[in-house]
Amino acid sequence: MADDASTSRWAIEDDDLARLTKEAKEFRGESLWSDAWRRLERSRAAFLALLFLCAFGTLSLLAPLLPIPSPVALSLRDEPTAPQWMWSAPEPPPREPDKGTSATRSVANLWNDGWRHRSTVRFDADSQAAATGVRRRVADLTGRAAIAEIHAAESGAELDVHVSVPLLESDRPRVDPTPTTFTGIATAWLVEGARAVHSVSLEDADGTSFEAASVAGWSAETRGRSVRLFLRRRTPTAGRADWIVEYRLRESLDAQPATIVLNGEVLAGSEPIGDGPRTRAQTVDASLFEGLEHDDLGRRIEASLAADPIEGARYVGTRHEDGYWEFKGLLAPLDRGLRRARIAMFGLWQTGNWMGTDGQGRDLLARIVWGSRTSIIVGIIASLCSLLIGVLYGSFSGYVGGRVDNVMMRIVDVLYSIPFIFVVIFLITVVNEYRTELEDRFGIDREKIFFLVIGAIYWLTMARVVRGQVLSLKNTEFIEAARVIGASTPRILLAHVVPNVLSVVIVYLTLTIPAVMLFEAFLSFLGLGIEPPKVSWGLLAVDGTQAINPLKIYWWLVVFPAAAMGSTLLALNVLGDGLRDALDPKLRGKH
Amino acid sequence: MLRFLLRRLLWFVITIFTVMTVSFFLMHSVKGGPFDGERKLDPVIEANIKARYHLDWPVWRQYLHYVGPFNLDDDRALAARSGSGSIQLWRSATDAGEPTDAFGGVLAGDFGPSFRYKDFTVNEILEQSLPISALLGLLSMMFAIALGVSAGIASALRPGSGLDLSLRLAATGGIALPNFFIASFLIILLVFLVPLLPVAGWGRIQHMLLPGFCLGLVFAAYIARLTRTGMLETLSSDYIRTAHAKGLSSRTVVLRHALKGGLLPVVSYLGPATAGILTGSLVIERIFFIPGTGSHFINAATNRDYTLAMGVTILFTVLVYALNTVVDMAYTLLDPRISLEDE
Repeated sequence: MADDASTSRWAIEDDDLARLTKEAKEFRGESLWSDAWRRLERSRAAFLALLFLCAFGTLSLLAPLLPIPSPVALSLRDEPTAPQWMWSAPEPPPREPDKGTSATRSVANLWNDGWRHRSTVRFDADSQAAATGVRRRVADLTGRAAIAEIHAAESGAELDVHVSVPLLESDRPRVDPTPTTFTGIATAWLVEGARAVHSVSLEDADGTSFEAASVAGWSAETRGRSVRLFLRRRTPTAGRADWIVEYRLRESLDAQPATIVLNGEVLAGSEPIGDGPRTRAQTVDASLFEGLEHDDLGRRIEASLAADPIEGARYVGTRHEDGYWEFKGLLAPLDRGLRRARIAMFGLWQTGNWMGTDGQGRDLLARIVWGSRTSIIVGIIASLCSLLIGVLYGSFSGYVGGRVDNVMMRIVDVLYSIPFIFVVIFLITVVNEYRTELEDRFGIDREKIFFLVIGAIYWLTMARVVRGQVLSLKNTEFIEAARVIGASTPRILLAHVVPNVLSVVIVYLTLTIPAVMLFEAFLSFLGLGIEPPKVSWGLLAVDGTQAINPLKIYWWLVVFPAAAMGSTLLALNVLGDGLRDALDPKLRGKH
Repeated sequence: MLRFLLRRLLWFVITIFTVMTVSFFLMHSVKGGPFDGERKLDPVIEANIKARYHLDWPVWRQYLHYVGPFNLDDDRALAARSGSGSIQLWRSATDAGEPTDAFGGVLAGDFGPSFRYKDFTVNEILEQSLPISALLGLLSMMFAIALGVSAGIASALRPGSGLDLSLRLAATGGIALPNFFIASFLIILLVFLVPLLPVAGWGRIQHMLLPGFCLGLVFAAYIARLTRTGMLETLSSDYIRTAHAKGLSSRTVVLRHALKGGLLPVVSYLGPATAGILTGSLVIERIFFIPGTGSHFINAATNRDYTLAMGVTILFTVLVYALNTVVDMAYTLLDPRISLEDE
């Protein structure tokens, strides 16, 4: 028998067997993705679009690093400026800056440097030497390049000195609430239905109550249900700001506190409690924080001048200006890092207004780059929202099938036939009424509402497409196999079905992003989307159309934003088409 | 066909009621109401205003009044005591002979008073603005179809030629570029650089050309794409070859035989295109200062004129729904292979 086997025509040598096994092990099948990538590379237009989008995306992500002027720095001059085109002779400003008041004049000159991310320290000086001295002092103290602008003050022989340095995070005055051992209860009620009285009693852990006499005055800040009371110290202490009492009411009283009672004593600056009927009384837990003052730039300069005065110079104040709005969340640390990197690399140097300025003296290039950031973020996040809803809905509907599928798809059909934008605009206006409340209670700001609303419309196509794919996948062998070994429905859906519809989903995602970006521009254009001071391409379009007038054509306000938006959307569309060709199973093997 | 229509009608009623109910209750859940301003009104005046707009009624009654079809405001028409003392459920006039307004509300085609335009009802505003918007929409639809179909045919007749490539590129560009940018370009070009057309206003045909064109361009691009695909498919089919073989002229083959099959995808796109034109009119009417329904809607939305905003929303929903149904029916008439019962 053994001989038979070795002489049969199917017999193989051991060496051959080992070699074949090795080859089989080393053989790499071509996965769908590598195949698709190869196809995408072959389609030149789609590949170029991909490269363009990557470059553009990196550029807008790195916006804080670029030495471009600020996108939001408004001209603080009294009068609106005409949009300027840097490459032609500038139009004369409507009024000579030097004839303004002291404040507007200096701001106008500072404004021209375009760099708004800075701290400006203001001094009064008697002589040029004193002015040079303060500039040097600020530069030494901060370790950053300092630029001084010196103006003749309007009164007397004094000079007005503005020393500006790039702004760092630690420059701003900040009060950090630090927990103390004092806790207690706060009782709030309304007197005569109009005046709110807040009574706070605070005790240390060992039972000693808080000294009401050490408080000189108070102020309060209420946001919805949460209340912060600021209690001013009678004896000012260095490095210590107001005490802060924080608590959260069970229901908002809809009235600012008029009277504050601390451990039974009515604080100075309060209205008398009065004997009127008391309503809506409620008692909640409260705790006391000590406000620790942070060593900001102004304080440091003041201390330095106190320790070592410069002859003839007097510190006036410090002002901080942000060149852009703060990003929250994931982008915030990245932005801070990029901003520091820019200051380290470029200092105060920046590009000119290469694409001109708009009607408020803001640099158009910077606005386009920063606007692209907003638009891209909106496009991506809202598309992901729609993706999530659409994939879950479509795959569930397709997988369950039958009557459920019928009803679910009928709902999609009905939603399709509604002119959704009207409903959405209506919804956005109504939701806007609840803005402060939503923001306060759930931390949902206008942009998040926007994401949700867009996600809620654009899932329809996704759901249809995914359902179709799932229907065709449902009866394939591997799904049957999974069902036979007893996998649950969610597991089959998530582990087996969804990965297989991923290619179609990706294609539709690339086609949804431009649609969403268009929609964002559309709503922002109508004044219902992104709000100033933030910039988005829709708002740039508004600026462009508003600047159209028969006297002088500010073409750059229309051409550059349109070019940026058009090329990005075109690239996304081309990429989407290319991806569809690369991933669509129907077209596979036809090339 | 009848079953199809009935089913459509059923879903239509459900849709409209959902839109109406959700928006009504959303609107009424808003704190303060539309008349809250910076200044506190005199309580008497406030009560008067509230009574005028029935805001002093319980919400369910306001809802019934808004939906209709009965006018709850006019007690005299419904369930009043007649002169002889018996309760009379229905009257078209009071005993004194004054006519009563028995019907009202959305079901009776009455959208109520506008909150902001004090002396107007929503119906009056719509009556004034809807013809303008309809004209603009019709014009841009004509632009879109004429331009799109001819461009599509031109590029389908010579696929791969320079003309085809440039038309396709233009179509992709038209889809990618938002209409407000296109409008801005064209205003600069055709109004200021080459003064051919007036910039804004309404009344003469010159006023309508530019807005209609800007509004229709995106849809022209889509239609061109669809026509091209449809025509390419039809032109390679057997019956076209037969027609050529019979010795018919190319013009007859293309226009009489191929076009009918090639335009089918375009017909099914007309429904979405209408919705798109309604949407686009919001922006275009704003740019060209056209007093159409779209600009009223945007003003209403930003000024909290809820009745007007709701009225426009409901009206346009009805419009789009009806048009979609018509388009679907037309599609089956044109293409007997598709039956409505399959839906």
